[in-house]
Amino acid sequence: MAKLTIDGKEIEVPDGTSLFDACGKARGEALPHFCYHPDLSIAGVCRLCQVEVEGMPKLTIACNTTVRDGMVVHTRNERVTKASTQILEMHLINHPVDCPICDQAGECGLQNQYMSHGLYESKVEMEAKVNKGKAEVIGPYVILDQERCVLCSRCVRFCLEVTGTGEMGIFNRGDRAEIGTAPGVELDNNYSMNTVDICPVGALTSRDFRFQKRVWMLKAASSVCPGCATGCNVRIDHAAGRVYRLKPRYNPEVNGRWMCDMGRMTYKAVLEENRLGDPVSAGQTGNWAGVSGAVADLGTKDGFGLIIGSPHQSLEEMQLLKLLAGDSPVHGGLAGADRSEKDALLLDADRTPNRKGLTLMGIDQGDGAALAATIKGVSGPVLIHGGDPAADLAVAESLGAKSVVYLGTHNNATAALAAVVLPGAMWAEKAGIFINRDGRLQEFKQSVARHGNAREDWRILAELMKVTGKESAPGSLKAVRTELNAVIGGDADLNKLPERGFVPGGEVR
Amino acid sequence: MTRSNYNILSARFGRPDGHLLSVYEAEGGYKALRMALTMQPAEIRDVVKEAGLRGRGGAGFPTGVKWGFVPEGSEEVYFFVNADESEPGTFKDRFCLDYDPHQTLEGTIISCFAVQAKLAFIYIRGEFGWLVDRCQAAVDEAYAAGYLGKNILGSGFDLDVIVHKGAGAYICGEETGLINSVEGLKGQPKIKPPFPAVSGFLDKPTIVNNVESVASIPWIINNGSEAYKKFGTEKSCGTKLWSVSGPVKKPGVYEVPLGMPFKEFFHDYLEGMVEGEELKAVIVGGSSVPVLPADEIMSCNLDYESLMNAGTMLGSGGMIVIPESSDMVELIQVLMHFYFDESCGQCTPCREGTGWLHKIVKKLRRGEGTAADIDLLGHVCDGMAGLTICPLSDAAVMPMRSFIDKFRPEFEALIQETAPAEPVSRWPRGEQE
Amino acid sequence: MSKPVDEQTGFALSPAGAARVEDLIARYPTKASTLMPCIWVIMDEMGYVSEAGVDFLTEKLDLTRARVHEVLSFYTMFRTEPQAEYVLQVCHNISCHIMGARPIIAHLEKRLGIRLGQTTPDGKFALEGVECLGACGLGPCLQLGKHLYEHLTPEKTDDLLDSLRKGVVPRADTDRELQVGGETS
Repeated sequence: MAKLTIDGKEIEVPDGTSLFDACGKARGEALPHFCYHPDLSIAGVCRLCQVEVEGMPKLTIACNTTVRDGMVVHTRNERVTKASTQILEMHLINHPVDCPICDQAGECGLQNQYMSHGLYESKVEMEAKVNKGKAEVIGPYVILDQERCVLCSRCVRFCLEVTGTGEMGIFNRGDRAEIGTAPGVELDNNYSMNTVDICPVGALTSRDFRFQKRVWMLKAASSVCPGCATGCNVRIDHAAGRVYRLKPRYNPEVNGRWMCDMGRMTYKAVLEENRLGDPVSAGQTGNWAGVSGAVADLGTKDGFGLIIGSPHQSLEEMQLLKLLAGDSPVHGGLAGADRSEKDALLLDADRTPNRKGLTLMGIDQGDGAALAATIKGVSGPVLIHGGDPAADLAVAESLGAKSVVYLGTHNNATAALAAVVLPGAMWAEKAGIFINRDGRLQEFKQSVARHGNAREDWRILAELMKVTGKESAPGSLKAVRTELNAVIGGDADLNKLPERGFVPGGEVR
Repeated sequence: MTRSNYNILSARFGRPDGHLLSVYEAEGGYKALRMALTMQPAEIRDVVKEAGLRGRGGAGFPTGVKWGFVPEGSEEVYFFVNADESEPGTFKDRFCLDYDPHQTLEGTIISCFAVQAKLAFIYIRGEFGWLVDRCQAAVDEAYAAGYLGKNILGSGFDLDVIVHKGAGAYICGEETGLINSVEGLKGQPKIKPPFPAVSGFLDKPTIVNNVESVASIPWIINNGSEAYKKFGTEKSCGTKLWSVSGPVKKPGVYEVPLGMPFKEFFHDYLEGMVEGEELKAVIVGGSSVPVLPADEIMSCNLDYESLMNAGTMLGSGGMIVIPESSDMVELIQVLMHFYFDESCGQCTPCREGTGWLHKIVKKLRRGEGTAADIDLLGHVCDGMAGLTICPLSDAAVMPMRSFIDKFRPEFEALIQETAPAEPVSRWPRGEQE
Repeated sequence: MSKPVDEQTGFALSPAGAARVEDLIARYPTKASTLMPCIWVIMDEMGYVSEAGVDFLTEKLDLTRARVHEVLSFYTMFRTEPQAEYVLQVCHNISCHIMGARPIIAHLEKRLGIRLGQTTPDGKFALEGVECLGACGLGPCLQLGKHLYEHLTPEKTDDLLDSLRKGVVPRADTDRELQVGGETS
């Protein structure tokens, strides 16, 4: 351990700690910085984190200094404050006054630092500023404004050290230096949008989010990406009932600070045109009042003959499927569906968020032929929850002879052949729990209201329990979770899941 | 073009055949190498330390001490000869390599032996393309004669030398910029720590020495540290190559002992100013040091300490003589353009500051400047000095600050007389819409 | 890593150039460290590095396009476009300035009919201002490739231009015979 004094306060940190981290700990907030990033190598180019270490003649950058026992450090004295103010001014002199049209406004490192230790007037005339490229598309998701760039090199280091793809570079020298991709090269790796996250200013911004919403109007909800079994932790940024973007949420156990572009775009499905918004019965759009009757008319007074779930649904919903099924079989859907290639970083080959949930609940999947056979072999109506098993021709054919109730979100092949279609909620529109590939239970919270007249799936399933004559149905999601605690075991409390998730009995791989 | 009363470094300057191995050997060349190979590396380091040789590229750091920073027993050590000579006013390394490449080469081999480097690069600036071929020829001669390659002169010591050509970047003269350049990266300096002697080229211990420093080694080995210390002063030992430019009667490269009074050098060697010119000022160490007006430089001795006490630095010894007929603001614009052009762009204070300084000086010279702009120059300098990865920022600041300090009236003569004293602020703080 | 949008055009070094590249890779400690000398091989043969040249370098040396372009754009002597036949580079740094570089530049501008930074319409001459060339006490000076002309006067520059217009590169102050090995300049 090393004992050092920072701004008069004595702290103790492990040997080898970076002075940058030690100062952050002592101050309660990080030192001013642009180029430092905990997951990237040290660049030491922005010069903002300079502090005074007694005994050293020049100020030193904290990010490239290791603590030493007995160090006396000043981060807020006149000398340091003057230096960081001057260096900030250097960052601003050629920066375009784009704030009114820049997406970064409200979450901008330059704005934040200026407000905290700048607040001086510009000494540079507009005409004298160095001009560089503006609004240049450099990849499918990223657009570049070279003028705004403070040349912190985070994006360059990210592409070299995290994705290993090396698309970005800094060309030319002096104040003609500019960030970009090489001619003919696109920033098109599957993690390109993380550069937008780490860019401290509005140089790299998201094409998808461009001009969509001012960030101070966004509210945030904690969630989990539904794109694959990794279950990257995300933050859903939404406003006025609409999801605007996903950002990674830091979880050192799952995704660190990153998520993939495919996952980031999963929110688009919430906004798709073919969302189911109203109950449909025999091809006629209806309302919820008529649903019980419509379902009962299919002959469900003894329950469903078969329930087909999907790995896209939450753990609580899977529990309810089992309760609803009673003695009837519950099938997990097509085992081969939604599988693709994994990549070297986060993206899993399993493109569903909760296949492990099916496993835990003892719900087996199968291939199309086997599922078709199962369907043919049961009598009574079939309830399909989520997924699109009718995309498989054998399954579609077998379903053609049955009465089908489909509880889903999109007007797909299964919805097309269902007698009754019930509009459910997408993951961003409801709360629930997924189990990721490592057995980690992670909670996703509701961010926006449901599309049209869609309802929470657990409520619909509970209602169906009543329709099919079950003695009781759970009255709340909380109650469902409490029941699940016993199933999960390992002193899980699904109503109090930690922010970083929970693995029953420790790490499961 | 040059006169050498002292010939530690300049014995063969100006001769048409001094670069030939046969001539060098006939005049005692490679004797020092033979002697060095019988000594222990640590012994050689001690001799050089004792001799008080200081880095001749500009930093003036004791060479033997620098060699000692290489961790004992390092397996893979690299040596670089810095021939990137790009400091304005400096042209002495070129003379060394042009007229006497074998002396530098011999010094290189001895230095590599002293730090146990097995591969050395001679990094020659790209603009010296005409010199690269000559250097390569000398290296080829040395290989043929057994002074390079495996088991040099039967000593068991192996050394390869690669002549590496630069491509036009002053910043590659900074030792870690040079290392990065040879690694195949942009020649941007590395952040320190780690220091090159511990972790440099390919993360291995690396020593970078200036041509003149290395060229001094054979004489020191041949004659000993005491003989070397007979030249110069207590803290500035030995002789120095001065590159002299400007309207003096005899510009050129001179080897004189450190400590010689400038007055003596100016009158006896340079023979004063040409007809019709008066001495106004001297930038004594290459452009990256403060300027001294005539009366101040006249009372200096040409050694590290005396020049530092006078408020400037010996630097590379690139002596730029400025006549009365020169416009100081015009000259500082030329220099500010240089640093703006050559800043590598990595760290913000230098990247933005060098461009800003150049713009403000140009604005003054266009007659559009105000009194506040002169102060602004000082303000920008404050935001640059001592705050960057490498000293290029300070290299721009030192002449800039000193030109205003010593020749302020010339700046003030350019300001608009009717312009307001404060810059016009477009968004005055506190004003409501 | 994404593929370049441009198609590969045929790119071929001379046998000597290709052999030089192999020799460099053998002698330098890493492939990446041969980037600068390999670019010089291309520069010496073709006068500039095209995108096809970048393709060659990325493949031969296992480097990204970004890295190669960073290096090409960082060093003033590396060019990515075809150059004029004679690129006249005049030092305009402080020592040469004091010794009269500006009048020399003005004289050249007049004689060539172009401004500093431009190329004559026939593509024969380009006039560039450059930083210190290491001939400070021997200035004003002008560099043409590997030839450095010193102690310039308007007359000397006229002689230089006349010679170049005849297709002859006159002997420069720095051109001296090597006598042993190497090239005779």
